[in-house]
Amino acid sequence: MKTEKEIMISARNLKKCFNMGDEKQTIFENLNLDIYKGDFTIIMGSSGAGKSTLMYSLSGMDRPTEGNIAFAGKEITKCNDDQLAVFRRKNCGFVFQQIYLLEKMSLMDNVLTAGALCNNDKKAVVKRAKELFELVNIPEITQKKFSTQVSGGEAQRAGIVRAAINNPEVIFADEPTGALNSNNSEAVLNVFTKLHKEGQSIIMVTHDKKTALRGNRLLYVKDGQVFGECNLESYNGKDKEREKKLDNFLAEMGW
Amino acid sequence: MKKIKTQVFHNLKKEKGSYLSFGIIILFTAFMLNLALVLTLQVDKAYDAKFETLHAANINVCIPKEQNTDQLTEKIKALNGVKEVESKEAILAEAVVKEFRDADFDMRTIFYNMDAIKNINQLEIKEESEQAEKQTIYLPLYVSSFGGFQLKDEITYEVEGEAYTFSVSGVVEEMQYGNYGKGLMGAYLPEEVYKEFAKEKEKNIVVEYSLIIQDDIDVNEVENELGSLLSDQGIMTLSNCDNQSTKDTRTMVCNLLILILAAFAMVILLVSVFLCKFRIQNSIEEEMVNMGVLKAIGYTGNMIVGSMVLPYVIVTAVTALVGILASYGILPLLSQVLTVQSGFSFVLSFDLISLIFVEVLLIFIVIIFTYGAAKSIKRVQPINAIRGNGEAKSIKKNHLPLEQTAGNTQVLLMLKQMLVCGRQNVLLFLVSFVLTILVAFASTLFYNVIVEPDNFMSTLSEEMPQVIYYSEEEHQESLQDALQAETKVENVLQYTVGNLKIDDTAVTTFACEDFSQVSNDLCYLGENPKTKNQVALGSAFEATYQLGDTIEIENGDISCNYEITGFVQSVNYQGNVCELTIEGYKELASEGVAKSLYVYLEEGEEAEAFMEEFEKNHSDMIAKSLNAQETQKNSQEMFSGITMVLISIIFILTMLIVLFILYIVIKSLIVQRKQELGIYKAMGYSNWQLMIQMTGSFLPVSFTAVLLSSVLALVYMPGINQLIFQTVGAMKNNMEVSFTFLIIFAVIQIVMNLGISICLTMPIKKISAYTLIKE
Repeated sequence: MKTEKEIMISARNLKKCFNMGDEKQTIFENLNLDIYKGDFTIIMGSSGAGKSTLMYSLSGMDRPTEGNIAFAGKEITKCNDDQLAVFRRKNCGFVFQQIYLLEKMSLMDNVLTAGALCNNDKKAVVKRAKELFELVNIPEITQKKFSTQVSGGEAQRAGIVRAAINNPEVIFADEPTGALNSNNSEAVLNVFTKLHKEGQSIIMVTHDKKTALRGNRLLYVKDGQVFGECNLESYNGKDKEREKKLDNFLAEMGW
Repeated sequence: MKKIKTQVFHNLKKEKGSYLSFGIIILFTAFMLNLALVLTLQVDKAYDAKFETLHAANINVCIPKEQNTDQLTEKIKALNGVKEVESKEAILAEAVVKEFRDADFDMRTIFYNMDAIKNINQLEIKEESEQAEKQTIYLPLYVSSFGGFQLKDEITYEVEGEAYTFSVSGVVEEMQYGNYGKGLMGAYLPEEVYKEFAKEKEKNIVVEYSLIIQDDIDVNEVENELGSLLSDQGIMTLSNCDNQSTKDTRTMVCNLLILILAAFAMVILLVSVFLCKFRIQNSIEEEMVNMGVLKAIGYTGNMIVGSMVLPYVIVTAVTALVGILASYGILPLLSQVLTVQSGFSFVLSFDLISLIFVEVLLIFIVIIFTYGAAKSIKRVQPINAIRGNGEAKSIKKNHLPLEQTAGNTQVLLMLKQMLVCGRQNVLLFLVSFVLTILVAFASTLFYNVIVEPDNFMSTLSEEMPQVIYYSEEEHQESLQDALQAETKVENVLQYTVGNLKIDDTAVTTFACEDFSQVSNDLCYLGENPKTKNQVALGSAFEATYQLGDTIEIENGDISCNYEITGFVQSVNYQGNVCELTIEGYKELASEGVAKSLYVYLEEGEEAEAFMEEFEKNHSDMIAKSLNAQETQKNSQEMFSGITMVLISIIFILTMLIVLFILYIVIKSLIVQRKQELGIYKAMGYSNWQLMIQMTGSFLPVSFTAVLLSSVLALVYMPGINQLIFQTVGAMKNNMEVSFTFLIIFAVIQIVMNLGISICLTMPIKKISAYTLIKE
């Protein structure tokens, strides 16, 4: 099954170091990884394992210290900042734990600001934005509000709309439910599931088992390496067998 | 202070770039303020000190030698308030100095016997040649430095058509005349040379009375009494000057410079206080949480305000001191330039009073503004500060919703960005507005001094023909006809400059056959005289007389009454002038009217070439000629030089201020919007798009400010020029405000702002999207 999938991102010999004062801290080294198109990939690991760092390196938001990353066969590690910006606007969408909507703009304007980058046809962008807002269940009146005037869940769903507005190849989500209550988390995860079902590739970092259940491929990062991998069927509501498989995998990883 | 020391240094360290920019602006302010203040405090004092040292007279009056009597000295001594009187012979001549700045300079000169100068009006020898030469002369500093005559150079004075050449043997400083603003210059000859010269110019020998007046007596009163005394005795006054009007003339440029420096300093100070207000308000927003924490752990509101105000006070104190000290680097150069113009040398020394005044003034103003901006933090409750409640409140409206607003999204984003930055807009608007006024002033100066120099020259000088011909009376008509017949000549006017007396005051008189044809209409109120019974008086008489009044004008024993039709300006003679028609002048001085013709050439014609050609065929009719175009060119060159320096200073200053202000604004914006920029970058916005977005958000504000300021300058700059030039006695201002030049300078300013902004937003490039989000 797995071999039939198309490789979307391919990372080889990745190394990432941070300077901590006089010392250098290595987050990961000689890391090799493939991400497949259409997968809902979950990256898990303990705190400080380098999950987010890995995800941001794969997305071109940050540069690895060493190694190569190819996106759809094109090496992105050799791109300059502006080339990376163009790469991101065409291929990536981002959803952050802290949401990071532009505070001085309405939810709709946040989405259109991203949409305008790839499509000059404003009407088409607005139409697509409205469809996505409907998908995430945000009514028109809320679309006109600022992120500070709506609930965390609504803001995060708007964040997903912004990430999806340009039909990216992949949406990167960094603990998107980390700052939300359980009701809002559920609503946000449902949106991701919906998008995945429509064929959207997603890479999500989480340390929450419930969130991890939404993915179909789990990568466990430990000691600077992809320590283990678990493949599941696509999420389809409550499935005890699927849950058990995940539990076993996590237990095996020392979770 | 001890308790907030850590916070103060933390603030200083954290925002060192912004404090440095602020400090540099304060440095400029202190630099200019100190220059203005030192000039104000010391030039006047230096002038008075030299006046005392050289025992200069309060009043100098020249009378014809033949009218002098032995008893006159006693009678003058007996005048109320006269402390000392000294009389000496001298030779007074309407001379032309050859090769004065490479041209002929029409200069009324009084030649003194140096050895006869004893007690009053002493000379200070600045330079002296060691080798003894024949026919030596000692020149006043002004003639030497401005005219370009060095020791051992030859100087030729043409007196009544005859050339007298002297070898420059020394340069002297005197407090009687100084520069040519009073229309009379001194020249000092050793006794032998003087005696020889006096033999040839016996007709021109005069007696000069120099009076020193008691300190508590008004010099003008004594001057009037002296005038009455001489007039009662039937003695003609050939020249008359008092120390105050001489001082005013000599320090005119210095005072103008002080005015401009002080105005500049105030403008920059205004900009810098708005800047520190802006920075403090931004810091409050950026540091709200930290301030909440400080309050929570027990810091009082005053301590926090103190920690915000003190860094500005420290920076102001230090940089103002540096600026003050730096100004002493330029003071010698400035005093050198002013020496050339004023004709007296002075050394500007360190001035503690000025230092203290500038320091205290700047610190006081900075405290007032910074405290005003920071005090709001005292009211914020710690918990609200920790929650960062201040920031969200500022967002009230989603300006230009992208969904509903037509137009390019990138442009709309720029405009949205602009609309949410009220404080930044206010600062940018004010800075651009104020600086445009400076630039408009510079553009007006540039236009009137460099492009249309006649505007400037006619404001500061009197009638400006290109050539002046003097002739005997019998040739005058035919000479005028011959000149008028020349194709290169546009107009010829009988125009004469003489000396008459009004209210016992010597006044320079301009007599013209038809004032409606003059090139420089000096009349600023009423009308020029048209008939022989009319007169237009200088601005010095405006306070005493009104239009329509009748006034008695005297010339020796003869006096006539004239009706005042207008008032005229005269910067060079401090308003002590009058205008009469030739016929009107003849009523008083039928014999003494000089036969001069003012020749106005067609545009583009060179005076030198014309004179050479014309004089080939008409030399028999010409007694004397003067290339006035060349003389004007020399003065123009001097003013052009000063103007170019001034314009360059304005532009460099404007550019630096814009640079520092934009640096602080953009740095603040980058810090404030770091996360926002990270989000944009994550979405896929390129560095260039973000740089253009940020720069573009400044453009409408600075463009509006520049445009508005330019329009206001167009309307009000003539008034401002009027005010400035009135301070030096130019009541009627011929300066024009050129719309084209105003627009050119405004466009340069906008392009400059844009270029600087783009350069300053470059640091956006250095930060990765990931770092921005993490920070």
